Amino acid sequence: MADFFQPLHDLFFWVSEMENSVALRESQYVWPTFEVVHVVFVSLFAGLIVMMDLRLLGIGNMQTPFSQLQQRLFPWQMFGMAGAAATGLILVFGDPMRFYGNIFFWMKMLMMVIAAVNAMAFHYITYFSVESWDNASVPPLGAKLAGALGVGLWSFVIIAGRLIPYNWFQN
Amino acid sequence: MLEPYFQWMNNLAVSRFIGESIWIYPLVQAIHLLFLALFAGALFIVDLRLLGWGIREQPVAKLARDARPWLIAGFLGLVVTGIPQLLQNAMREYFSDFFWMKMTVMPIALIYTFTLRQWVVSMTDRSRVPPVVSKLTGLASILLWIGGVAVPARLIGLFT
Repeated sequence: MADFFQPLHDLFFWVSEMENSVALRESQYVWPTFEVVHVVFVSLFAGLIVMMDLRLLGIGNMQTPFSQLQQRLFPWQMFGMAGAAATGLILVFGDPMRFYGNIFFWMKMLMMVIAAVNAMAFHYITYFSVESWDNASVPPLGAKLAGALGVGLWSFVIIAGRLIPYNWFQN
Repeated sequence: MLEPYFQWMNNLAVSRFIGESIWIYPLVQAIHLLFLALFAGALFIVDLRLLGWGIREQPVAKLARDARPWLIAGFLGLVVTGIPQLLQNAMREYFSDFFWMKMTVMPIALIYTFTLRQWVVSMTDRSRVPPVVSKLTGLASILLWIGGVAVPARLIGLFT
């Protein structure tokens, strides 16, 4: 296992030695600024994802057809995701070794991949038939499942992200 | 003036209990963020529409009526998960300018949301207010809640 992760470790270590990386983690204001902006983008992204998922679950925003909600919120969700990803990458760039050995960081990354798979699966399977349930007061099981998984997975991402500073399992 | 009350909060048995556990405080912080996301979603869905973006097919009053229970639920969740953090950190919060900024802007934002913003929302659809008024109302809402409450809240933990 150790050999398997060695290239990843070397990559993170190599980045951590870069001049800009050192400068970023030693900065008094730049690093915290990115942390704050990251949270703002996350709240935009996750907030609008939750609004969509509540509609999929059939418990919120029910006066709007799902396709309208999805199409109009999508650009803002992507804007939130792009901002969160950019600021997140900068934070990892600024202190790679802090994240490399952190179980919560990797759990967060894994959950984001699974959440993306859930979104894709919904888009290519259940959303295909959206016209038949766009205004339905009780969305089909597939939609409810995607909504529940969305809320659960993104919640997990946020919780794991917030727990990164508390690295209880550091060896 | 308020220092004795913060001292009192600091010394409560429940504050010490939270302080002694390694996981209660971090988990409360994490759940606080989940409620922030819920709150922000219910806020943005209306404010984007006021700004002329988002779900333009729907009247803003309709979106606001649907979002309202989630906005309130998000806010209550933030308060409930905020109190243990205040108890645990009472003295640090007392000496933090960001804490007082947050606590000053929050009641203003709250009153604004349920009075002026609500009024503009109800007027926008029938074009009883000029579009620029609706836009400024949405912008002010985001600036108050995100710029005046959420950002200083995050800064409490980073600069004290």
